[in-house]
Amino acid sequence: MKINYSLVTRRTFLNTLFGGWILAFCSGSAYALFKFAFPTLGKEPDFVVLKCDDFMNIPPNSVKPFAWGGKLGLFFKKADNTTVALKGVCTHMECNITYKPEDKKFYCACHKGWFDQNGKNIEGPPPKPLEFFDIKVEGEKLIVAKKGFKVELPKV
Amino acid sequence: MPKRGSRLSCQRFKNWVEERYDIEAVKKLARHKLVPINQYEIWYYTGGIAMFLFILQFISGMVLSFYYVPHPEYAFKSIIEIVTKLNMGWFFRSVHHWGAQLAILVLFIHVFSTLLLKSYRKPRELLWITGFGLLKMSIFFGLSGYFLLWDERAFAAVRVATGGAGNLPIVGGLIKGFLRGGIDVTGDTLTRFYAFHVSILPVLTLLFVGIHLLLVQYHGMSIPLSAQNKTTKKVPFFPNVIYKDFIIWLVVLGIMVTLATFLPPEIGKKADPLAPAPENIKPEWYFLFLFQTLKLFPGEILGLNGETIAILLIACGILFFFLIPFFDRKSNRGEPSPVFTWIGIFYTVYFIVMTVIGFLT
Repeated sequence: MKINYSLVTRRTFLNTLFGGWILAFCSGSAYALFKFAFPTLGKEPDFVVLKCDDFMNIPPNSVKPFAWGGKLGLFFKKADNTTVALKGVCTHMECNITYKPEDKKFYCACHKGWFDQNGKNIEGPPPKPLEFFDIKVEGEKLIVAKKGFKVELPKV
Repeated sequence: MPKRGSRLSCQRFKNWVEERYDIEAVKKLARHKLVPINQYEIWYYTGGIAMFLFILQFISGMVLSFYYVPHPEYAFKSIIEIVTKLNMGWFFRSVHHWGAQLAILVLFIHVFSTLLLKSYRKPRELLWITGFGLLKMSIFFGLSGYFLLWDERAFAAVRVATGGAGNLPIVGGLIKGFLRGGIDVTGDTLTRFYAFHVSILPVLTLLFVGIHLLLVQYHGMSIPLSAQNKTTKKVPFFPNVIYKDFIIWLVVLGIMVTLATFLPPEIGKKADPLAPAPENIKPEWYFLFLFQTLKLFPGEILGLNGETIAILLIACGILFFFLIPFFDRKSNRGEPSPVFTWIGIFYTVYFIVMTVIGFLT
């Protein structure tokens, strides 16, 4: 039914009203569900603080793992006694790597990827070199930080 | 006298139902359900086997969930307890494992036979689509169930699989974050995968199986083009075909229980996010063809990430597979369609060869 001076019929008006209501309800619910189901993604730490004694005294040509957030970090003392820290996660598919002291290389068992001791991807599928960190010794503390990240000491 | 009494109550119950529901109509429907008989008959049974295995998976999964604890500290321990301390626990875990393997194997046989016999052709496109959905869900069932074990291999496998999804352009990061419940694979991923495995996927599977079965009833069994011109003999589903179904299910049950008894699945070391990836890890066999395909690509192609290109190409291949009923116009018109026969053979052979290579190397 359409009244003379009306722009739409009563049916169209009601359909639009109910349709709009249902659409608003569904999209609101979907939005809320999505927000809830999708996690708030944390991020990797900018730096971690470790105990100096635990790491500086490892034998040369070996690594010691530490927790870089939820990921594996490796503290690495090269054969010439220089120390570095790096993320122990393969750049290919995020498997944890391991250090092979006899070859002086890092190895990822998942897809047979190799990195040299400077982290360069030398064999297998890894597309990028390993990520290295800055390390700094402050008294008892060993600070491992993202490359280029300025650690404010009071925060430590 | 008690015998007579029970017969009477049986009759009374029958009357009670018949007064309220039109049982005769259902019986008539059952009598009129006919199945064509031809040389391709054997492939008709693959769907039924898959359904039978799904039912067993639901039952064994339900009882396992009485004891499984989805928490990173206790998950691994609870499975050890299931297989060592609980009555018949080893059996149900083993049966659930082998049932899953067989279900996925049968689903692959089912989908490839559908592909090669072109049973997807008009008007059965929706059957293909729901079936494809069920295959994907089953694979995700497999991955999520495997992860619940929370051992080293499962941990590495899920890292690689979710990381691989992260390599998709644009939506990759979103999918990866959603699957992992964070930036990394952690206890949050375990509860998520548990939810997928025991609540979301089962409900979706029931829905899709329901639609799939209704559509099969509606369209009837597909008669392959090459068998269409011959005079097709039809036999009643009840009892001719259902008896054969039962025979095959019994054999499948026997195979499953034998495998479960003699080859219980291994349990590795408890997952440790900081431990190096275990040596020689391999994904479950139904991922091997993807795994082998990824290996074909170098790390870098013309300055672009080879992995991303590989995953894009694989995604395109799977999308094309999904849309085959819409591309194969000739089959839809009922004409022979050799191009799509070759495409079907290509997909089947590729899958088998890559899986075998992956298995042997």
